[in-house]
Amino acid sequence: MDGNLFLKTLAQVATAICLLASSASGQELAPTAKQKIEQLLTEPNDIGLDTAAPGTRWDGLAIGQSNAAEVHTLNGMLELAARSNPTILQAQYQITGQLAKAQQAGLYPNPMIAYIAENIGVEGTAGEWQGAELEQRFVTAGKLQLSRDKYLQRAKVAEHLAVAQQFRVCNDVRIHYYQTLAAQQILDLQKELLKTAEDDLATTREMFNAGQANQVDLHRANSELRRQQLSVLQAENRIRREFLQLSSLVGMELAFLPLSGDLHAASDLIDYDTVAQRVLSQSPEILAAHSKLREDQITINRESVEWVPDVIVGGGVGRNFEANDTTGALSVRMELPIYDRNQGTYRQAQADYIRQQKEIRRTEMDLKMRLAMQYETYLSAAQHVLTYEEMILPQLKQAYATSLQSYKEDRLAWPHVLHSYRDYTLRRIEYTDQLLARRTSEVLINGFLLHGGLNPAPGAIPPGHLDATPNPR
Amino acid sequence: MERETSPRRHFIKSGMLAAASLAAGKTLSAQEQVDPEEAAVPQAGPIATPPAASNTKEGTVRDQYDGFSRFKPSRGNDPDSDYYLGKLVPGFRSTEEGPAPFVAPDLEKLPYVMKDGAKQFELVAQNVRREFLPGYEMDVWGYNGSMPGPTIEVTQGDRVRIIVHNELPEPTTVHWHGFELPVQQDGSMTLTQNPIMPGKSYVYEFDIHEAGTFFYHSHVAMQEAFGMVGWFIVHPKKVFDPPVDRDFGLIFQNFHIKANQTISNSWAMDWSWHTINGRSGPFTTPLVVKHGERVRIRLLDFSPMQHHPIHLHGHTFWLTGREGARTPKSAWIPRNTELVGVAQAAEFEFIANNPGDWMFHCHMVHHMMNHMVEQVGPRIREGANVDAYMTNLDQRPPVDMKHSEGFATPGYPQGMQGMQMSEKFMKAIWSRREVQGMRATWPKSVHGLMTLLRVLPDDLYQQVMETDDVPKGAIFEEIVQRFGTPGTYQKAPMMKMGH
Ligand SMILES: [Cu+2]
Repeated sequence: MDGNLFLKTLAQVATAICLLASSASGQELAPTAKQKIEQLLTEPNDIGLDTAAPGTRWDGLAIGQSNAAEVHTLNGMLELAARSNPTILQAQYQITGQLAKAQQAGLYPNPMIAYIAENIGVEGTAGEWQGAELEQRFVTAGKLQLSRDKYLQRAKVAEHLAVAQQFRVCNDVRIHYYQTLAAQQILDLQKELLKTAEDDLATTREMFNAGQANQVDLHRANSELRRQQLSVLQAENRIRREFLQLSSLVGMELAFLPLSGDLHAASDLIDYDTVAQRVLSQSPEILAAHSKLREDQITINRESVEWVPDVIVGGGVGRNFEANDTTGALSVRMELPIYDRNQGTYRQAQADYIRQQKEIRRTEMDLKMRLAMQYETYLSAAQHVLTYEEMILPQLKQAYATSLQSYKEDRLAWPHVLHSYRDYTLRRIEYTDQLLARRTSEVLINGFLLHGGLNPAPGAIPPGHLDATPNPR
Repeated sequence: MERETSPRRHFIKSGMLAAASLAAGKTLSAQEQVDPEEAAVPQAGPIATPPAASNTKEGTVRDQYDGFSRFKPSRGNDPDSDYYLGKLVPGFRSTEEGPAPFVAPDLEKLPYVMKDGAKQFELVAQNVRREFLPGYEMDVWGYNGSMPGPTIEVTQGDRVRIIVHNELPEPTTVHWHGFELPVQQDGSMTLTQNPIMPGKSYVYEFDIHEAGTFFYHSHVAMQEAFGMVGWFIVHPKKVFDPPVDRDFGLIFQNFHIKANQTISNSWAMDWSWHTINGRSGPFTTPLVVKHGERVRIRLLDFSPMQHHPIHLHGHTFWLTGREGARTPKSAWIPRNTELVGVAQAAEFEFIANNPGDWMFHCHMVHHMMNHMVEQVGPRIREGANVDAYMTNLDQRPPVDMKHSEGFATPGYPQGMQGMQMSEKFMKAIWSRREVQGMRATWPKSVHGLMTLLRVLPDDLYQQVMETDDVPKGAIFEEIVQRFGTPGTYQKAPMMKMGH
């Protein structure tokens, strides 16, 4: 909604509110006797949905209401999200970043070149010795390869995390798709309830006119109708929210079209033990943690050779002005690992390795925790769905059918029929919520419990990682 | 003048002759003299089907008594006359022939065997399915497969032995309502006898010295509410005078049965179903009599808690007795409506001098319906019908909030829209011989505690009761032809009225 439209809508709302207020006060202005009687007998104060402030309506949201032949599909949404969700791209750049680090960490040190003038001024000379020297550090103990391996391993971690991020996004897209689908169904059902509330008012008026209801009943029926109108508006608002959220997850502005699809579960009842084993062995989070452990092992290896001195060899050619001769120079240097044998960093790396072992354990426990919660939701929802399908809804539908038949046979009053239908429809709304809960849990359980498709894609280093060597090594 | 020339007048004469031949052999009394003016009317006339004098008996029964005619609506000249309103006008049947057969429509008679000098009956107390209306089978309690139970019919002075078998799941006793019997035989549970336990039997035996309208019933309150009652008719040794041609018995009852239920809530303080001899209007079987007959109707109110003002159309009847005993003639009362209280019986006698199909019903408006339901909803809405709701149970049709013209009138709608009468239902309603030839729309007007009295000239009686396939409306139209004003008669719309 752009700014102009918003202002226009606001103006419509305001106008509508004003209209409502004036019509209400108009009814209170001394009516003629005739009007008064009619109002009393047949025209109780009630305001239909048509008079609801137009700007507050969000029309055309329910399936069957849109004229468009087009519909959104889940697969279409998933494809769009794979291309457009920023966090999926972020995750890919996390891999790129680690690969670049690996590249950097494995580069051989550059040689040094130096011009050297020694003992300048001795015996009036420009320098006793002047010459050029080339110096090269020879890396020992495979340090560069180890460093490269370490970051390559981090790239693998990042790959697992990118898979996790894809699950986060796809799971979320699925869940929000089903949420929108459920919202569509619930709007339809709320509209059924609205028709019933309108019927309740019509019936109360009829009963009022036959002396079977009084003003109190009319007031009640009027307020119930208004309440149901609010429920419809709320259901419309819900679709709007769901659809906007779905749009955000997909990562682009989508035109509103009805969604096609089915809230029913894709699989048979999920077995807890099977799924727990699967989650604990195949979750990208677990795989990433194991990968990270390997990286930590490489880090230990890397740090364990850090003390091995590199050999720096230098050599050159120069002029000895004292001897008036061309001479060479050679140096070989290396550090003596007497005090700093990298003990601290080595210990740190070891500690990080053990910390990572615990991280794996923590991830397992965390997954178990989340799975336990999700499975409970899933199981309850599945039990609800099953019982609603097998017993509750058929029974209520039959109750409604029987009450209709009884009404047809002139053995039951119409308000009983309305009550039956209201019951049936309210339970259908509950059923839809349970279908959604089951579907959501199913997506999460099958999708390794990952969600949060708009959280930043995490990097290869887990929280709490001890990284004391910011330079690639 | 009109009397002498109209076909109606002619028919009355013909009917009189037929009636006279019916009561052949009976000696004329001083009062029984034929009106010479009427005798002069020629027998030939414009009627297509002249009534046949089917009865072979020679008539001695008059049709005129001090201004009262047994063949046309009339009062008589003198309220103090024995014949005022037909008070003592005899039927065609003679007292020598014994009492007229007792008929309780839709109920059976309980057979007996003579054993050890007593009429021995067997009554089985049990739960019973009873079809109140076609397709509406209700679970009630009664006797010998019937609710109300079968009729026990004896004669004053008989000794009776009634063996009661209890097939109910709870104890019962049977009370012989109104009899002055030895206290051990009274059937008052625990007061005078031990209960008859389930599966057990009990023998009642007593002499009957009284005559009149009695009944038997369980002496457990809830069992009474469930319909455990039956006639116990005692014919007098000396047939009551004047003799009647017809002796009908009707038991009025109320039940409270919810929609989709077959079991009455015996605790209810309300009603929803009414039965006459176990059937509800229009399934009640009309009382069919011949024009000019003397008719007795015995009526028992065995509702749990509803009294019934009983009204007969087209006739004034004499209240000749209550359940206590036959009332001395000096205390008989002419009535149109008689209030019959719970557990009371009343006897009405009248001369059926007005041909036609006449309502006979309780006058409480809520008792003239089968199950009263607020008439709101699609039933009264223009363009709406329940079938539209039934075609899709998951989505309901929208409501049109606009109201019809009539809605502006406070109290709309007052007319009960009536139950939907299915083809099958109508077929069952029309399947009875007693309703042949009635107007096509008659079932719409007969509900609850309503039945009909049909007064038919001999030939029409014959057509109805002894031939088949009388077209709808034919008998009524013929009566209009003979006794009414055919010029203004409008036929009933045939619509989809069954068959
Ligand atoms: Cu009544």
